[in-house]
Amino acid sequence: MKPDNPELVDRLASEYVLGTLRGPARRRFERWRASTPHVDQRCRYWEEHLMHVAKGLQPVQPPAHVWLAIRERLNLAPRRSPRRWARSLALAASIVFVAGLAGLLYWRSLPAVRATAVATISAKSGDEMWQVEVFGTTNRLVVQAARLATRPAGQDYELWALPKGGNPVSLGVLPAEGTSTRALTAIQKAALANSIQVAVSIEPPGGSPTGQPTGAIVFVAPLRASG
Amino acid sequence: MSPIAESSAESPTEFDEQLLRLLGRCAAADASALQRLYELVSPILFACLARILRRRALAEEALQDVFVSIWQRAGQFSATRGRPMAWMMSIARYRAIDLLRHERHVPALVPDLPERLAAQPEAASEGESPAWLPPSGLLEHCLALLTERQKHCLELAFVGGNSHEDISRLTGSPLGTVKSWIRRGLQSLRQCLEA
Repeated sequence: MKPDNPELVDRLASEYVLGTLRGPARRRFERWRASTPHVDQRCRYWEEHLMHVAKGLQPVQPPAHVWLAIRERLNLAPRRSPRRWARSLALAASIVFVAGLAGLLYWRSLPAVRATAVATISAKSGDEMWQVEVFGTTNRLVVQAARLATRPAGQDYELWALPKGGNPVSLGVLPAEGTSTRALTAIQKAALANSIQVAVSIEPPGGSPTGQPTGAIVFVAPLRASG
Repeated sequence: MSPIAESSAESPTEFDEQLLRLLGRCAAADASALQRLYELVSPILFACLARILRRRALAEEALQDVFVSIWQRAGQFSATRGRPMAWMMSIARYRAIDLLRHERHVPALVPDLPERLAAQPEAASEGESPAWLPPSGLLEHCLALLTERQKHCLELAFVGGNSHEDISRLTGSPLGTVKSWIRRGLQSLRQCLEA
């Protein structure tokens, strides 16, 4: 591993935060940061201070469709009144048909994006609970819940990457039903690249408050490279 | 490095507290908190992304990624992790730098860009701190001690997302010289901050 020389840690942390540490060195450093608290601490130190270099940056209002897309991606529907709901349903039905057709045509025209790693999380009984797919090229994590994935009362299941030699890195709360797609952060991606297993813990609603598993680890599954 | 130097330089501002409360509510899956947070910080994060990525469509997509990430990681953030704005700005900047790596279509730097990049932050960096930035007399004092070249290089890297090679091209200075300006600039900053 790397020498734990404070001067070197500080130099790398400052160049990482500044953005001039690039390429494989940047990715190695990200993995090191994710697994080493004192390296993380130096990064945060520089993040807080160097932020002031951007003092002159003038805010730019993003276009409205960006927020709508975020809401869509996170499945955060605005609340609706019952009457509007009924009208919307009729409208939605016709939109779904047209969009479905367009989507099918669009989807068929796209090159296939294949998962780079997959994990199947099963209960001891052998029943499948979740299918986890990592799309390294598009930085997406797709989790599909099997019918059996009911939540523990008042709690959530949280998925973790288990990077070799490092602390678990959260991959978010697992869906109780359906499919969830989320963007992978650089830290999550690096952790996944370094993991041969993923784990599931029971956490308070919304996930672990500490960034590390706080409840029991209930499932561990191998993460296999694919594609 | 002394333990004192590791701690946050200044106490949380009212804006920090507001962001912290919103992040806490996001961690509890309160969508209205994310919307409020978006209203407050998306303009500065978007400016950050647009400056680094230089393409509006790409910056818009990156801004989505950033807020998805903030929502998913809000529970991991706590006051002990420092200022929420620094945390969110880092998520945005690292995302943009990551995208630069994949994105081969970022237009080559146009010749008039160096002046604009150099002039804009400096022109605006006089005077009071903007609302999103906590006041930091110490850092400003320390930045003022750097040479103009060191300061310019730090701005080109931090604000513009430029690599050593980009900065060498932009300033017309040899790569080795640029690297040493940056390294010495960061060293001087640290010595001044921790003095």
